[in-house]
Amino acid sequence: MARLALLIWSIGPMLWQLYTSLRPTDALTGGASGERAWTLEHYLQLLQGDPPFLIYLLNSAVVGASSTVLTLLLAVPCAYALSRIGRTASLTLSLLVAGAAAFPAVLLFLALLEVARDWHLANNLLALSLPYAGLSLPLAILLLQASFRDIPLELEEAAVMEGMDLWQRLRWVLLPLMTPAMASASLLIFIFCWNEYPIALTWLSRSDLLTLAPAIARIGGSSVYTIPYGAFAAATVIGSAPLILLMLLFQRQIVSGLTQGAIKG
Amino acid sequence: MRWKLWLLMAPALIWLLAVFAAPMLHYAWLSTQAQTVLTGLQPRPVGAQQWLRLWNDARFWQDTWQTLRFSSASLGLEMMLGLAIALLLNQPLRGRGTLRTISLLPWALPTTVMALGWRWIFNDPYGPINQLLRQLGLESAGFLSDPAITWLTAVWADTWKTTPFVALLLLAGLQNIPADLYEAAALEGAAAWQSLRRITLPLLAPYLLIALLFRLAQALGVFDLIQVLTGGGPAGSTESLALYAYLNAMRFLDFGYSATVMLGSFAVLLAVVGLAALFFQWSRTASEELR
Amino acid sequence: MIANMSMPGSTDSGLSLRGLSRRLGHQTLLDQLSLEVPAGEILALLGPSGCGKSTVLRLIAGLDPVSAGEVWLGGRNVTALPPGQRQVAMVFQSYALYPHLTVERNLSLGMELRGETRQTIARELQRVLTLLKLDALRLRRPAQLSGGQRQRVALARALLRRPALFLLDEPMSNLDAQLRDDLRAELRDLLGQTGAPVIYVTHDQQEAMGLADRIAVLREGRLQQLGTSRELYESPVNRFVAGFLGSPTINLIRDGEDTQLGLRPERVQLQPASTALPNGWKARPGRVVHWEWLGDRVISHVACGPDSILKVVSKELCTDDDVQVRWRASDELRFNRRTGERLSSN
Repeated sequence: MARLALLIWSIGPMLWQLYTSLRPTDALTGGASGERAWTLEHYLQLLQGDPPFLIYLLNSAVVGASSTVLTLLLAVPCAYALSRIGRTASLTLSLLVAGAAAFPAVLLFLALLEVARDWHLANNLLALSLPYAGLSLPLAILLLQASFRDIPLELEEAAVMEGMDLWQRLRWVLLPLMTPAMASASLLIFIFCWNEYPIALTWLSRSDLLTLAPAIARIGGSSVYTIPYGAFAAATVIGSAPLILLMLLFQRQIVSGLTQGAIKG
Repeated sequence: MRWKLWLLMAPALIWLLAVFAAPMLHYAWLSTQAQTVLTGLQPRPVGAQQWLRLWNDARFWQDTWQTLRFSSASLGLEMMLGLAIALLLNQPLRGRGTLRTISLLPWALPTTVMALGWRWIFNDPYGPINQLLRQLGLESAGFLSDPAITWLTAVWADTWKTTPFVALLLLAGLQNIPADLYEAAALEGAAAWQSLRRITLPLLAPYLLIALLFRLAQALGVFDLIQVLTGGGPAGSTESLALYAYLNAMRFLDFGYSATVMLGSFAVLLAVVGLAALFFQWSRTASEELR
Repeated sequence: MIANMSMPGSTDSGLSLRGLSRRLGHQTLLDQLSLEVPAGEILALLGPSGCGKSTVLRLIAGLDPVSAGEVWLGGRNVTALPPGQRQVAMVFQSYALYPHLTVERNLSLGMELRGETRQTIARELQRVLTLLKLDALRLRRPAQLSGGQRQRVALARALLRRPALFLLDEPMSNLDAQLRDDLRAELRDLLGQTGAPVIYVTHDQQEAMGLADRIAVLREGRLQQLGTSRELYESPVNRFVAGFLGSPTINLIRDGEDTQLGLRPERVQLQPASTALPNGWKARPGRVVHWEWLGDRVISHVACGPDSILKVVSKELCTDDDVQVRWRASDELRFNRRTGERLSSN
């Protein structure tokens, strides 16, 4: 029935990749190995490759983590201010931010490339978090602002009456109440950075520094393998695994973050 | 007091300006320059020459057409499928939460990763789809090699990845519709499809609109998918505007023109999204007048 | 139109509002409020929604800026000071307890951040926990407390500050009627012990009358009258004040071209139709159209001429249909029908 169709449609292709990755190459092309052969050779090839595939996952994780931290550092004060400022200003700014959220980031790559060149930021994983933070800011701001709005004003006023200044209020009262929202935002930022392609493509050229998305593209464009589909499939599986894991572990936060952010936009 | 709030917003706003607005301004300047291997990779002012070139560039207009075609097909499919999935997930069924998470997985994966996967799945002759076709007695198809249908393959791949996002958004909208409305309609003897038309769709309209405009902007800028899935081929039949801009910069090393193509693409984007927004505004006021 | 009928004592240790005003855009939320609240006094700010009472509170607290006027507390001009430096403690209508902290932490956080020593904090904490009987609840979170318990925690938090002034914003409005009566007495005691002035905002006139030493009635940003509950009840300065205090509300009947008579329902008697009228009494004929028996008294609604229903409070039910409604002429309050101002009796 419909639910089954949805299930097959959603994970069918990934399951097929898994299947493909475990079959020897000539079995895939109708060759001699026969129906029942299974192999891990594709995975071994990748994991022992030069550089080993897991490096890409590590690089992506590093970029994801640093971008998340930077984005939150910028977004939290901005979201707080946006939630406390008057109606008209908040509406206009929110609209602009929402517009930025819908903007296709690829259009920025040329200018960002020149920035990378002029300021020697290329081939530097941490530097990549600079543009990534900019690209993640819109969604993070919208999400966090909505969450700040949900905290009753009287609560903050009580803290004011007790003599707490802004930093104390944020640290002891507001931010602890924002933890779920910040978790959601962090996950979404992380996923975005993990999946980002054009900027990473143009900023990183050293093969041991590539993040996952350009690495996969490079593997797909390479002619190292004669009939490469087994290796491709293995790459797909390994590349997908971390995010699938993330999704399954944090589904609630991710979903609530998406719906919140999208609705407020 | 208020100035302190603006101070708090300043770093983020400055960052946003730097990342979004500054490049656009830079492109505006760069589009009046020629910067290629021939100029020793230094910018040389050429006035409006690049823009004239853009206007007369058949490939640019071809790509515009292809991008529009891709976007509208993809969007149409996403909206319909997304709505269907949202309606399905709105039913109180067992395992609904898990199903929702699983249906979201396509969105979570990097586009490039799954694009590589699709290259195999649609491979001719060894991919599973073509094998299935042969087993059914049909001819295998050049999903990625036939210029007439490759763009449809791209549409399919894009729809697969982005539908979950649309579905999630619409689901949130559905859950915001109070159940009493449906109950009242049922009491008046309305059939299921009638309440769909008269309750669900109107109340869902704002969410549909947001999803549409959001996705439209992103689809018009499609890059990752095309580059990895088809490289713009075969015979440039799937090349998108963003890809063309990229090629101009990275392959042809024609930076001035690349900037021009970018701005041209951005103009197309603004025009299409603007028209879409206006259209919906008009249809909304028109339907209100009818009532 | 300010009627200040009592003369308070020295205000060096008390609160002094001088010409306090607040305007927002074209709206005047508060217009030239001046009053003094000496140490140890409980002043109730009473009035309908939108009358400005919460505005006054927020101006005194420093949460909103003043448009004109000054706030003096304990001999200091605090108008320009931020809330934390005014030595004012406030209990909010929603209590505003920190939801993620235990009762203990809710109370001690302020002291910690003010730099008090650990011994001081522990000692003070124990003091208020015992005082408000919260000891058993110290490790609970606000979500696990009842309304009354939350109110006590909010109160404890305010008491801990040993402030120069207490501000309470409708603190009883979220509680059941039963709870309120008991808490009123407790509140008086607790606040009285501190010796600091208290400003108490409410829209419930019974609460104001029961709790406060003096009441300030506000309407549309203006002070109508300031005095004890007795003064306000027996000598209201205008129709609004007369109508705001007293339950059921005062009867207003037309008397000639420009006058209205105000008659308190409990000062009006019902007698059988043709009873003799003593000297100094006035009467009108009427028909009982409705009555409410409330246990300790009966409220009868009597139709007295066209468009005129009088409410009469008595101990017993009057079962006759046609009655004589009568009152002492000296119990009348006379008002200018147009302006509502009270006219002195002839």
